[in-house]
Amino acid sequence: MIGTSTRLPAIQRLVEIKTIAELLHFKISTLLLHGGKLIEAVTWFHQHKASYEKVVGSTEFIFLHWDWMSRQFLVFAELLETSSATAQGFSSLNQGTAEISLTEFEFYPAYYYQLAAQYLKDKKCALELLLSMSETAQEINSCSESITPSGYVGQFAQLLEKGEGEALTFHSITDEEYTRYTISEAKRFQDSFEIIAWLKRSYESFTNLKAGRMAARCAFEVGREYFDLADPNNAKKYFDIAANFYRQEGWVTLLWEVLGYLRECSRNLGALKDFVELSLEMVVLPVTSYDDSGNLKNKNYGPGGPATFSGRESIHQEIFTLLCREAELLSSIGGNGFKLATDSPLHLEIDLVSPLRPVLLASVAFHEQIIKPHAMCSITLSLLSHLPLPVEIDHLEVQFNQSMCNFVIRNSQRPLWATSSNTVQSGSQVENEPSLVLVPNNWLRLTYAINSEQSGKLECLSVLAKLGPLFTISSRAESPAAMEDLSVWKHENRVESLPTKDPVLAVFGQKATQVDELEPQVDVSLGASGPALVGEDFTLPIVVTSKGHAVYNGELKINLVDVGGGGLFSPRETEPFSLESHHVEICGIDGAEGNDESESETGNIKKIQQSFGLVSVPDLKEGESWSCKLEIKWHRPKPVMLFVSLGYLPHGSEDNTQKVHIHKSLQIEGKMPLLISSQFMLPYRRDHLLLNKIKPAPDSEDMSSLPLNEKSVLVVRAKNCSEIALKLVSMSIELDDKQGETSCLIHQGGGCGDSPSSANLAPGEEFKKVFTVIPITRTSKLDLGSVHLKWRRQGSNITEACVLTKHKLPEVIVEASPLVMNLSCPPYAILGEPFTCAVRICNQTQLLQEAKFALADAQSFVLSGSHSNTISVLPKSEHVLSYKLVPLTCGEQQLPKITLTSARYSAEFQPSAVASSVFVLPSASHAKKTNSTVK
Amino acid sequence: MANTACFIIVGRNDIPIYEAEVGSAAKREDAAQLHQFILHAALDVVQDLAWTTSAMFLKSVDRFNDLVVSVYVTAGHTRLMLLHDSRNEDGIKSFFQEVHELYIKILLNPLYLPGSRIASSHFDTKVRALARKYL
Repeated sequence: MIGTSTRLPAIQRLVEIKTIAELLHFKISTLLLHGGKLIEAVTWFHQHKASYEKVVGSTEFIFLHWDWMSRQFLVFAELLETSSATAQGFSSLNQGTAEISLTEFEFYPAYYYQLAAQYLKDKKCALELLLSMSETAQEINSCSESITPSGYVGQFAQLLEKGEGEALTFHSITDEEYTRYTISEAKRFQDSFEIIAWLKRSYESFTNLKAGRMAARCAFEVGREYFDLADPNNAKKYFDIAANFYRQEGWVTLLWEVLGYLRECSRNLGALKDFVELSLEMVVLPVTSYDDSGNLKNKNYGPGGPATFSGRESIHQEIFTLLCREAELLSSIGGNGFKLATDSPLHLEIDLVSPLRPVLLASVAFHEQIIKPHAMCSITLSLLSHLPLPVEIDHLEVQFNQSMCNFVIRNSQRPLWATSSNTVQSGSQVENEPSLVLVPNNWLRLTYAINSEQSGKLECLSVLAKLGPLFTISSRAESPAAMEDLSVWKHENRVESLPTKDPVLAVFGQKATQVDELEPQVDVSLGASGPALVGEDFTLPIVVTSKGHAVYNGELKINLVDVGGGGLFSPRETEPFSLESHHVEICGIDGAEGNDESESETGNIKKIQQSFGLVSVPDLKEGESWSCKLEIKWHRPKPVMLFVSLGYLPHGSEDNTQKVHIHKSLQIEGKMPLLISSQFMLPYRRDHLLLNKIKPAPDSEDMSSLPLNEKSVLVVRAKNCSEIALKLVSMSIELDDKQGETSCLIHQGGGCGDSPSSANLAPGEEFKKVFTVIPITRTSKLDLGSVHLKWRRQGSNITEACVLTKHKLPEVIVEASPLVMNLSCPPYAILGEPFTCAVRICNQTQLLQEAKFALADAQSFVLSGSHSNTISVLPKSEHVLSYKLVPLTCGEQQLPKITLTSARYSAEFQPSAVASSVFVLPSASHAKKTNSTVK
Repeated sequence: MANTACFIIVGRNDIPIYEAEVGSAAKREDAAQLHQFILHAALDVVQDLAWTTSAMFLKSVDRFNDLVVSVYVTAGHTRLMLLHDSRNEDGIKSFFQEVHELYIKILLNPLYLPGSRIASSHFDTKVRALARKYL
C-alpha cells in the first residue's frame, strides 16, 4: 500500500481501509445494479471479495475480519434484493463472463444471505474464543463508553470532556483501546438472531426456487443455530425439515448428522418417544464404516457422534439399556435425563412408510391360499432387524383381523410378565420358543399352525414385539410377495436372503388367506314341472329342508337371469303388448303353506322386484322344512336361469358366526302355448273387382282387401304348439275402440252351435273358429280388433283363473267394388247331362261400364255360348251371360275359365279357381244318394 | 496436493455411492463436517447444468467461501463431485477422467449392482492415489 498514512495504529488503519473499500464497493454496486448490469455487479463483487478476503489483519482479532466479510455479503444481498435488475434468463447471462463462470444461484440474494450468515457465524466463534481467553473482560467494560466514530470515515476517537463549559474534543485512541471498544460493542449484539434471520430468508428463497437441497442445508444451519441458542423447539422444527429431505434423498451421513441433533433436541425437550424413535432410526441407518480413523478423523462431529458402525452400536446400547433393563440398572447409567416411569409403557407403531421399518420388518405368509374352517393351517412368521446388535424379544403377539386367531409366542428364557396384553384374549393360543433373538441381517423364521372358525378373509395385521416390561414395537405385517425394499438399505452390500426357506412362498406368499364356509346341511329344492307357458302365472315350489343344521335368520334370494345374455330388459321394445319392460318377471312369492301366523311374527321381509326377490325364511329346527311358491310370468318365449340362494345362521343368535350359503339354480324354458293365425274368405262364387288388389297402394302391400257391405268370412285358427294339453275356454273377437264398432259388424260364424264353448287341445291340435265380417264404412285401414283367447292347462283346477292370450288381427282395406261377377251354377253335375251356368256381371256404379270377357275352353266340358265379346253394362244393372255345359268326365272339374276386363279401369279379373269348379257325378242315382245323405 | 478435498460419487438416483476425504489436511475444522452438506446442496446446480452442455466435465459449479465444487457427469448420469480449494483445473479434469475409468471397471464387475454402494477397497486405494497425483 503506497503512501499509507502511518498516523493510525495498525488495526485501526486496516479498519479504515476496509471501511472505505466497503463504501466504494457499495456505491459501485448500486450504480451497476441501477444500470441493470447484473453480471458486472456480481463479477465486481467477486473481485471485491477476492481482494480483501486475504487481508485478515491480526489473527487475534480475526472476528473483525469475519464481521466485515459478513457485512459485505449482507449488503450485496440486500442490494440485489432491492435492485430492479432481477433474475431473467440466467443461462444467457452466464455466457458473457469469460474469466469467472458464475453459477445460477449467484444471481439470487439467497446465496449471499446464506454466506453472510456463515461469516457472521465465524465471527461469533472467533469472538467467543477471544472472550473466553481474555481474563480482562471486566476492564474492557470500564473505559469504552466514550468512544464514538469520529468525523472521518472509518476512524474512531475518544470523546473527552475537558472541564466544564469547554467544547468536547476528539482524541485519537490506541489499538488497545479500540479493540476493547469493539469487543464490548460486539458483545452487545445478538449475532445468533441475525444469523437465523438471514438463513431463514435464504431457506425460504431457495424453497421458492425449488432448490430443495440448498434449502435443506439452510434449514439445517438454522436448526444448528437454534440448537446453539438452546432453543430445542425451534431447532427441532428446522431439523425436521432437513431430516425429511435427507430421508427422501437417501444421504445417510447427512441424515445421521441431522438425526443426531434432533435426538439431542428431543432429549432436551424430554420427549422420550421421539428420542427412542430417532435413536432407533439412527441405529438402523446403513452406516457400515467400521473405523472412525482414516478419512473421518478430522471431523468435528455433531451430537450424534461419528457416523460409524461403532457409533450405531453405542446408541443401540444406550437405547436398549434405557428401555429394556430394570430400574436398578438404569440408575447406574444415568445421564440420560429420562425417568422411565414404570406405569407408562412405550409403544412404537411401524407402518410401511415409517423410517423405523428396518428396526423390525415382519413378513407373514400363509402356506395355503384357501383353508377349511376348523382345519389347521401353517403360517410362517419372518422377522428381520437391521439393528447392529442382537436383540432378545420377550414375547411376540401376532394379530389377525379375526381376533380369535391372535396368538402369542413366548420366549421361554424370559420370565412371564404379569401385564398381559389387551389385544390377545385370555384363551388364545400360546406358543413357546426356546429363544427369540433377532440377529442383525438374519431372518428369524417361525412357523406355527393356526385354525380359524370364521369363514371369510383371514389376514395378519401386525406383529407386536415386547422387549422388556414396558417397551413394545408393533410392526405392520407384510406379504412376502408384495414386500418393498427398504429404501435406505436397498443399495447396500449385504447378503440378500429370503424371508422363508421355501422360495415359492417367499415370492408368492400372502399375509391373507381365505377361510371356506361351513358345509351347508340344509337342502333347497326347486320343483319345476316342465316348461312354462307365456302368459300364465308359472308357479314354482321352493322347499327348504333342514338336514342337520337348524336355520336361523334365513334369507332366500331369488334371481332371474336371461340365459342368452342381454338381460331380461329390452329398451328397444316398441310393441304394445309388452309394455311391461321385462319379458320375464317375478309376480309374487306365496309364503309358507300352513304357517302364515309365523310369518307375521318374524316380520317377514318380502321384497320383490321384476327379476329379484328376497324372502325371509322362518326359523327351522333340525328336520323341519318350509316351502313357498314362486310365481313367475313370461311375456315372451325365453329360456331363463333361476338362481336361488339361501343364507342362514346355523347357531341361533351368536353374532360372530357367519352365514352359511346354499346356491341352487334351474333353467326354465318359457314357451308359446298357442299359435294363432287368421284368414279371410270372400263370398262364394261372387267376385268383386277390387282395384286395390290389382294395383296395390304402396303402403298396403300385405293387407287384404274386403268389399264394402259384403259378408266376408274370417277363419281364426289356434294351434297348440306346446307339449302340454290345453283347454280352450273361449275365443272371441273384441273390437278395440268405438270407431271399429261402427265401421264393421262381426258375428260369430256358423251360429249352429257346433263350435263348443270350450275345447281340449292336445299338443299339435288346431282349433278353428269362423266369423263373418261386414264392413260398413269405406276405409283404407279397417281395424278388426283382436282375438281374445282364454285357456288353461288341461287337468288343472277349474277355479284357477284362465289365461287370456290376445292376438291382434291384421288391418284390412275396405273398398266398394264397381263390378261384381256372380257365377251361378248347380251344386253338382251329372255326367253327360247338360246344365246351365250363368255369369252375372253387375255394375254397382252410376256409370256405364264396358266389360270385355273371354272364355277359355275346358277339356272336360262341351260348351255353348259366346266365347268372347265386349258388353256394356248399364249403371246399377246387370248383364247375364249364360252357357250350356255338358260334362264329359267325372269328379271335381274346373269350369271353363272366364276372364273379365273392365275398360274403364283397364283391370282384368277372374273368379278364383276353388269357386269355379263343380263336382260331376257319374249318374243321377249317385246324385239322389248324395241328396238323401245331405238331408 | 490440495489442502481440502472431499470426493463423492453420486449414483443416478441421487444417493451417494462412494465418499472419501482426500485432502491432505482440514484447513478449518468447523467447516470440515459441512463438506457433504455443500456437495449435496450443489446437486441442485448440477441438476440444471448437466443438461445444458454436452461436456462431461462441468468445471466448478458452486462456490462456498474459498471452496469450489467441481463436477463430472458420466453418460449414465452418475456424478463425480469434488469439493476442493485448489485452482488446478487441469489436474481436476485428469483426476475425474481417471476415476471415471475406475468407475467403469467397477461397473463391469458382474457382482456389482449399478446404483449400490462401492465397497471395493481396491477402488478406494486407487482413488486416493489419484488424488495425491493430481490434486
